[in-house]
Amino acid sequence: MIGADVAAFLESPVMILVSTRNSGHRAFIARGSGARFDRRHGHIDVLLCRGQWPDVAGNAAKGAPIAVTVVRPSDYRAFQVKGVIEEVASISQEEQQRATAYVTRMLEIMAELGVTKVQLSHTLTDKDLVRISFLPTDLFAQTPGPDAGQRLEQAAQR
Amino acid sequence: MIRLSDIRDSFEGVIPSVIATTSADGVPNISYLSHVHYIDERHVALSNQFFSKTAANVRHRGVATVMVVDGRTGQQHILDLHFLRSVGEGELFERVASHLAVMSVSQGMGDVMKLRSLDIYEVEDCRPVVPVASLAEPEETEPPRDRLYAAGQLCAAIAQQGDAEAMFDCALEGLQTRFGFANAVVLVPDEEGKKLSTIASRGYPAFGFGSEATVGVGTIGTAAAMRRPLRISDMRRGQRYASAVRAEVMRHGPDHIPLPSLAQPRSQLAVPMLSRGRLLGVLFVESEKSFAFSHRDEEALSLVASQLATSLLLAERDRSEAGTPPPATHQPSPAQAAPRIRVRYFPLDGSVFVDDEYIIRGLPGQLLHHFLSVFSKTGRTDFSNREIRRERSLRLPDFKDNLETRLILLRRRLEERGGPLLLSKPERGQIRLECDGLPEIEIATG
Repeated sequence: MIGADVAAFLESPVMILVSTRNSGHRAFIARGSGARFDRRHGHIDVLLCRGQWPDVAGNAAKGAPIAVTVVRPSDYRAFQVKGVIEEVASISQEEQQRATAYVTRMLEIMAELGVTKVQLSHTLTDKDLVRISFLPTDLFAQTPGPDAGQRLEQAAQR
Repeated sequence: MIRLSDIRDSFEGVIPSVIATTSADGVPNISYLSHVHYIDERHVALSNQFFSKTAANVRHRGVATVMVVDGRTGQQHILDLHFLRSVGEGELFERVASHLAVMSVSQGMGDVMKLRSLDIYEVEDCRPVVPVASLAEPEETEPPRDRLYAAGQLCAAIAQQGDAEAMFDCALEGLQTRFGFANAVVLVPDEEGKKLSTIASRGYPAFGFGSEATVGVGTIGTAAAMRRPLRISDMRRGQRYASAVRAEVMRHGPDHIPLPSLAQPRSQLAVPMLSRGRLLGVLFVESEKSFAFSHRDEEALSLVASQLATSLLLAERDRSEAGTPPPATHQPSPAQAAPRIRVRYFPLDGSVFVDDEYIIRGLPGQLLHHFLSVFSKTGRTDFSNREIRRERSLRLPDFKDNLETRLILLRRRLEERGGPLLLSKPERGQIRLECDGLPEIEIATG
């Protein structure tokens, strides 16, 4: 489902968007603070700030659907992964360190693109994080253009 | 609910917005979208270009959630939207389509962003995204100016001016003193509507009178072609475009006067000067700072540009009624020993070269040739607007409406060059040629 290239891409310095939805089918928006592909279990772990994104965090529960879009800021190359949430948990010390490293690296990359720390103050944070682990079921190309939304992979069980 | 007008700079901005929807089978979808367009306090429009999955979800569920970002401060707001209808034509569609075309040209994207349809949404809620911890203290910024007051004051000041030249200077001075916009240019279109010439500028090492921008190229030319304001907040994001602009500025040639321009502009705003549906010029400001011009500035400058256009039109009409024929003033014939002034005139495009240096082209060039020809033949130096208007050899269409600006352009260009030819204005509606030498006119056929 998630090949080595996509796994490497989502663990590289990419901007991360996360969406869950409520029972009324309204989808919510959050920005992620780092993502990782758990190669052993086939899960994707995405970290996000509970306090800043209460709607997404509040609707993230085991069995609920989730969508995550990752985009490389330099060329807007992007993928969207959809899946089913397996676990919502507090983060470990290692995950905290990974989130801090992610924020530091993104600040460097965005600074090279002319985006300041002040502008990113509303976007990037490594505080008050929660980990959402989900099993990916669909992969889509999401790079802006006529091919955005094209399905690349679909899990066999669906 | 936050008022949409309070977050106006988050719409149609440079930072991509985000949209989330839910499919018929209950799966969320999240993607970037180029622009969220402000319609009014309760409505926004999304340009439906690529995101077919999103469009399908919206058609099924009738709702969408959008996040918009203020490019300057980074502040984010979430909008809960309820889909109303999709439009493929009409005033709003045309307005957004031309805005998208302008933005796509400005970002060097050609017609990639061509609008297919426009989805109109009601905004059910708008709330800020509150960061839990700030990474950096906000930058010190100047307290915001009351732009409506400043625009009102400046419009009133322009309306007080008696002639077009004073209006231009008043407008540029007011932009600096009332708005803090130190680098500003006014350009007027040529007779064919293909080029715009600098008639007034402020804040640059040289005035660049007579320098030209091509209609349809660069910030100024695109605003003129689309007849819409064009505001670029962060030129680093449109490097290809910036390069194209620079190439235009740096283009060398025998008939090129450099446009007044900052070496490294970050923000630019060009506003067309329209009156009675006619383009009378472009008002242009730029800055070395990113996000120097806001939506409010764009609106304020649109008011100033409209006032300038209307005052200019009235001044032209006023001038066309005035101006008695001048007494037949003659300059004593220059002695045969007087220095020769070599003048080459190209009737094809009206361009004039003096001592091998390009002076001006188009109508101002034709006028200069006319003055010099009459002076050479008769020694006469004074001319009236009325007389020029009746001069059939000039064969000028729609002449009465733009004579004044052409004469200002010509006079300023000659003055900046510093002789040996100058024009002065001894009285209202009159022009005097000051010629420090003996012109030898060559009609060039090339």
